[in-house]
Amino acid sequence: MRKPLWILTIAAASLGGYLALSQFTLPEGPGQEVVLAKCQACHDIGFVARERLSRERWDAIINEMVIRGLQVTPEERATILDYLATYLGTEPPPAPPPAQAAAPKTGAQVYANCQGCHGPQGEGNPPAFPPLKGHVENLLKAEGGRAYLLLAVLYGVQGEVQIMGQNYTGIMPGFAWLSDDELALVLNHLVAWGAPEGFKPYTPEEVKAARAKALAPEEVLKLRQGLKLP
Amino acid sequence: MEKVNRRTTLKLMGMGAALLAAGGRGLAQQTPTADQLVKGKNPKMIVLSQRPVVMETPYDLLVSNPERTPKEILYIRNNVDLPGYNTVEGANLEGWKVEVSGLVDKPFTFEAKELLSLPQHEVTMVLQCSGNGRTLYNPRPSGNPWKRGGMGNVTFRGVRLKDLLAAKGVKLGEKAFYITAHASRQGNAPEFVRSVPIHALENALLALSMNGEPLPAVHGGPVRLVFPGYFGVNNVKWVEKIEFTEGENTTTEQVPRYRVPTIPNAAIPFLPQEPGKTYPYTLQNSRPNWLVTLNSFIFAPLEGQTVEGPYVRVEGVAFNDGIVPIVSVEVSTNGGRTWHQAQLERQEKSFGWIRWRTTVYLRSGEHEIMARAWDAAGRSQPLDGNIAWNERGYEYSGVMRVKFTVA
Repeated sequence: MRKPLWILTIAAASLGGYLALSQFTLPEGPGQEVVLAKCQACHDIGFVARERLSRERWDAIINEMVIRGLQVTPEERATILDYLATYLGTEPPPAPPPAQAAAPKTGAQVYANCQGCHGPQGEGNPPAFPPLKGHVENLLKAEGGRAYLLLAVLYGVQGEVQIMGQNYTGIMPGFAWLSDDELALVLNHLVAWGAPEGFKPYTPEEVKAARAKALAPEEVLKLRQGLKLP
Repeated sequence: MEKVNRRTTLKLMGMGAALLAAGGRGLAQQTPTADQLVKGKNPKMIVLSQRPVVMETPYDLLVSNPERTPKEILYIRNNVDLPGYNTVEGANLEGWKVEVSGLVDKPFTFEAKELLSLPQHEVTMVLQCSGNGRTLYNPRPSGNPWKRGGMGNVTFRGVRLKDLLAAKGVKLGEKAFYITAHASRQGNAPEFVRSVPIHALENALLALSMNGEPLPAVHGGPVRLVFPGYFGVNNVKWVEKIEFTEGENTTTEQVPRYRVPTIPNAAIPFLPQEPGKTYPYTLQNSRPNWLVTLNSFIFAPLEGQTVEGPYVRVEGVAFNDGIVPIVSVEVSTNGGRTWHQAQLERQEKSFGWIRWRTTVYLRSGEHEIMARAWDAAGRSQPLDGNIAWNERGYEYSGVMRVKFTVA
């Protein structure tokens, strides 16, 4: 095989990979995680990622979402607006920051994706969003709970659940777009709030293996119903 | 091509594996196809949003069924997803209750299955999302990027709301100016409420079936309150409460969503919003997407097609709000300088689409054809649809243009 053809093949395949990736994720930039945390609870993120609107229009849309029940602090609102107007605006977005030797993420940083709904300390926000503190510990103590927790974070859960005496019927989105490493980090971050004796931390390999299952959120719910929870 | 030796093969395989590993994140998240999201839908449907489910009919599939749009390919614009309702099969009538209240002398609740014992009525109508054609506006409005496949022609069957009221001996209050319908909130679904003017009662139907089959759950089964002549959003799915009210409802689906700007007390067809700007929607300075705008669509030839000449058959459909008949559809092959009348399938008031066809004589080469409809109220379509630009991209009705080649 000649070299140019080689390069072309690789370039085409990389472009394919890039497109597959870019279709469903927001561009990297300050505020991306707040946008994900706040918008994903109700929207398929592709719905947001494909918009290209002026700052003024984004501002009006955030107002509309507030009418519809979006909870944001003024700071979060400003961050979200800046991000949307810059990266999903009518002008081409600024070039992504040069790939610096990215400092390894911590579980707490990845948890920014969760705290919009579950609260900074995992305290939850009933009746819409269940707490994680305490609840995760119960899950991990149950047989099969360790595997379930991983699948719930990866694929999401849909349907009615009862958690610590309260009913929740919202939809938890899946976080399959996080890397295996990030998912393992965030799972271990949750575990830090309480785990049974001799708990084995999650590993990226485990996450990778779980991806092969390709479950729907309703199927994850069925797994949950099979657990013996207090 | 040179023979690929073993070493190159191995290198390529390694490269492929590396790419798969890198692309895995993206590929793992490939959008599910329409049939994976909604049981029984044609997998070729274009998925615009997975949550709530929004899918568009590819234009070639739409035109391949020019009489009626089958449930497998009918577009979906759900604002609410009821758990377990993502299927084209019918939903269970058993135990489904609907409350009728507000400005009536005797409020009541009825069971959906009671409707089966009342006289049934059938209506064929165009169901169209008010955002259909949104991508044709410039600059791009927000929302699902509909092309032209956010519509279909379907036959609903069920009981007229006014027949039900008569059967129950219920009289409307003097100030019952609007019909306000609420969708079910089962499974903690968000609120969805729409109001339409009381004159819609004339044709309002509590639909139980569509195209001769039980009303698909994803399209609002078991009971959908259908208003022929009105945009899709007003036809409330999974209806559980019907109120007669003095004013329009003020929840988000009524204001600021699903509205276009107007000048108070001025009945001009197109509206003063500067493209790209926002608008402070209120009940006074805007109106809801109610009656369907007059529109026509070219079903043949299709964009980019090559057809045999010199006699080229041009056909399509046209529809309006059903208040007056469509009186003519014209076709132009020279950018709108001259127009040629097409034959209409029928000339009567209709909520369904009316098919039209004509034959034009074209020499070989590339051509652009345009079609526009006129109705008995003197309404027609703008040559430049962008004149009605609004920030959410509703109610596009610009003249359709199709480029094709004559062999």
